[in-house]
Amino acid sequence: MQNADRITGGFFLVFGIVLYLAVIPNNVSDMEGGWILPTTIPNASALIMALCGGVLVVKPTVQDIHSPTEFMRAGFFFALLCLGLWAMSYVGFVYAGPAIALVLMGLIGERRPVWIVTSVVLLPAAIWFLVAVILERSLP
Amino acid sequence: MVEFSTILAGFGDVFTLWNLAFVLFGVVVGQFVGAVPGIGPVMAMAIAIPFTFGLDTLPAIAFLVGVSKGGLVGGAVPAVLMNTPGTPDAAATAMDGYPLARQGKPLKATKMALFSSVTGDTFSDIVLITVSAPLAILALRMGPVEVFGLMIFAFAILSGLIGNSLMKGVIAAAFGLLCSMVGADPENNTPRLLFGYWQNYDGLPLASVAIGMLAISEILRRLSQITGKMQSAVEVIDTGNPDDRRVTWAEYWSCRYTMARGAVIGTILGALPGIGSTAAAFMSYASAKGASKEPETFGKGNLHGIAAAESANSAVVGANLIPLLTLGIPGSVGAALIISALMIHGVQPGPLLFENQGRLIYGLFGAMIMANLMNLWIGQLGLRFWIKVVSAPESIIFSSALLLCIVGVSMATGGIFGVAIMLIFAGLGYLMTSFGYSVVIFIIAFFLGPRFEMSLSQSLALMNGDWTRITNYPVALVLMALAGCSVFWFSTSARRSQT
Repeated sequence: MQNADRITGGFFLVFGIVLYLAVIPNNVSDMEGGWILPTTIPNASALIMALCGGVLVVKPTVQDIHSPTEFMRAGFFFALLCLGLWAMSYVGFVYAGPAIALVLMGLIGERRPVWIVTSVVLLPAAIWFLVAVILERSLP
Repeated sequence: MVEFSTILAGFGDVFTLWNLAFVLFGVVVGQFVGAVPGIGPVMAMAIAIPFTFGLDTLPAIAFLVGVSKGGLVGGAVPAVLMNTPGTPDAAATAMDGYPLARQGKPLKATKMALFSSVTGDTFSDIVLITVSAPLAILALRMGPVEVFGLMIFAFAILSGLIGNSLMKGVIAAAFGLLCSMVGADPENNTPRLLFGYWQNYDGLPLASVAIGMLAISEILRRLSQITGKMQSAVEVIDTGNPDDRRVTWAEYWSCRYTMARGAVIGTILGALPGIGSTAAAFMSYASAKGASKEPETFGKGNLHGIAAAESANSAVVGANLIPLLTLGIPGSVGAALIISALMIHGVQPGPLLFENQGRLIYGLFGAMIMANLMNLWIGQLGLRFWIKVVSAPESIIFSSALLLCIVGVSMATGGIFGVAIMLIFAGLGYLMTSFGYSVVIFIIAFFLGPRFEMSLSQSLALMNGDWTRITNYPVALVLMALAGCSVFWFSTSARRSQT
C-alpha cells in the first residue's frame, strides 16, 4: 500500500518542519561560543526527517500495514497499560500488577484457573520476592 | 597490546562457580525464551538488564551473553515443531526442520540445529578473540574526525541495509538521533527538549527506550493479533525408531563443509553492522543448496539445510561483538543491549576497552566459550523439555513479560517516570514497526547520538571550524566517501528493484 508511505512521509515532513520552526527554538536555549550550538544536531535531525518525509511522499514504497481493527486493538491495549500505570502510581505494583495481569488475561481469553492463578498470584509474588526481598530494591 | 597475564587472568575469572552459574543460568533462560514464540532472546535481554544491577560486571555480562546464545538454540525448537520461528533468525531453519519433524524426526532436526549452532558459534567466537584486540589497536589510532566519519558511514550502512527503504532508514536514524538530544548538551550543559520534565536532564533512559520499543511494542503487536483463541499444544510425531531421535557422528561429519561455509558467512556478515543473522542464515542456506548435489531435497527435510541456517545465524552473535568491542559501535540490537549493560556497570565501550578493561573483556571471551559448551550440554538435556515449553499459552507469556518489563524499567530508572517513558516509546515503536520504520536503526542512532555530537564538536575544534581541513584526515575522508557511495548504491538498487 503506497498510501501508507505517503501518509507517514507527510507526517514526518510536517513533524520535521514544526520541530525546526517551533519546538526546537522554544525548547532549546541558544548559547554563544562553542563549536556547535545546542540546536545544531536537533535542527539537522528535524530537517533530515522533513526532507526524507518529502521524498517518501513523492516516491513511496509499497508497505503492507495492519488492518484498522488491529490498530484499534493495539490502541485499546495501550490505553489499558496507561491506565494500569496511572493506577500503579497511586496504589503501587503490589496491587496494580496482579490487576493488570488479570485484566490482560481476561481480555486475551484465558479462562483456565491454573494459568490465571499462576499469572495473577504466583508471578507477581515471585517478582516481589526477587526484587523486594532478594535484591532489596523498591517496587514501583 | 594486552599482556598475556591479563588474558590468562580474564579467562581464569570465568572459572569461578559464581560466574559459571550465571553463564549456565543465562543459557537456560535463553533457550527457554527462544523456545517460546513471542519473547525471543532480545526481549529477554532487554528485560534482564535491570535485574543484573546487583551483580558484578562479569557475571552480569556473562549472563546476557548466555541469554543471547541460548536464545538462538531455543529459537530453532518452535521453527522445527510448529514452522513458527521463535526468533527471526530461525526462519531458514524451519524450511528443512519442519518437514523433518513432520516425518517423525523432530528430535533429530532439533539436535542437528543444536550441533550446527554450537559449531558456528564457536568458530565466530574464536575469530572474535583473535581479531578484536589487533583491530582495537588500529581503532585507537583514530581521532575524533575519523570517529565522526566512521559514524556517518555506520549510519549510511544501517539505514540502507535494515528495512525496505533507505528513506525510512534515514528517518528512523534521524529520529533516534533527535531523541538522544534530550537532556544537557555536551558543550554548554544547556538543557534541551525537556518540556518541563527535569527528570530528563541526563537524557532519556536507554532502558526505557530499548525495552519500550523492543519488548512492549512487540507485546502490543501480538496482543492486537490475538482473537480470543488459546494457542493449542504442538503435536509431536514419534516414529519409535531410535535413529530418528539422534544425529549420528556420520550425519554430523557429512555436514562439515556446509557448517564451515555457514560459519564463515555468519562471521563475515556479523562483523558488518546492521546485516543481522536472518540474512546470514538465508544466504548460507542458499549457498548450501547451490553447492549440493541434491538441491531438490532442500525444503523437504535435508539435514544440510538445517546445518547451513543454524551455523550461520549463530556465527553472527560472536562476530557482532567485533565492531562493538573495537569501535564501540553496536552492529545489532543484541549488541546495543550488551553495550548498555556495560555502560550501566560503568564500562565505556570502545577501543580503550582492551587497555582499560582487558581482564574483563577476556573474561567475557571466556564466558562466551563456556556458554557454547553449556549450550551444547543444556540443549542435549533440555530439548525434550523445550519441546513442551513451545505449547505454553500466550496469555501467561505476555502478562508475565509485561510485569517484568515494568518492574525492570522502574528499577533501572529509579521510579515510575521511566516506566511512563517506556510506554511512550512502546507506542512509538509499535507505530514505527507497523509502517516499516526500523526500530533497530532508531535504537542504535539513539545510543550513538551523544557520541556522534561529541565527535562532531571535537572534530570542529581540531579543524578550527574549517571543514576544508578535512583533507588532512584521509581516513575520515575515505569513510565519508564510502558513506556517500553506500547511500547512492542503496538508492539506485532500491530503484532497480522497484522497476
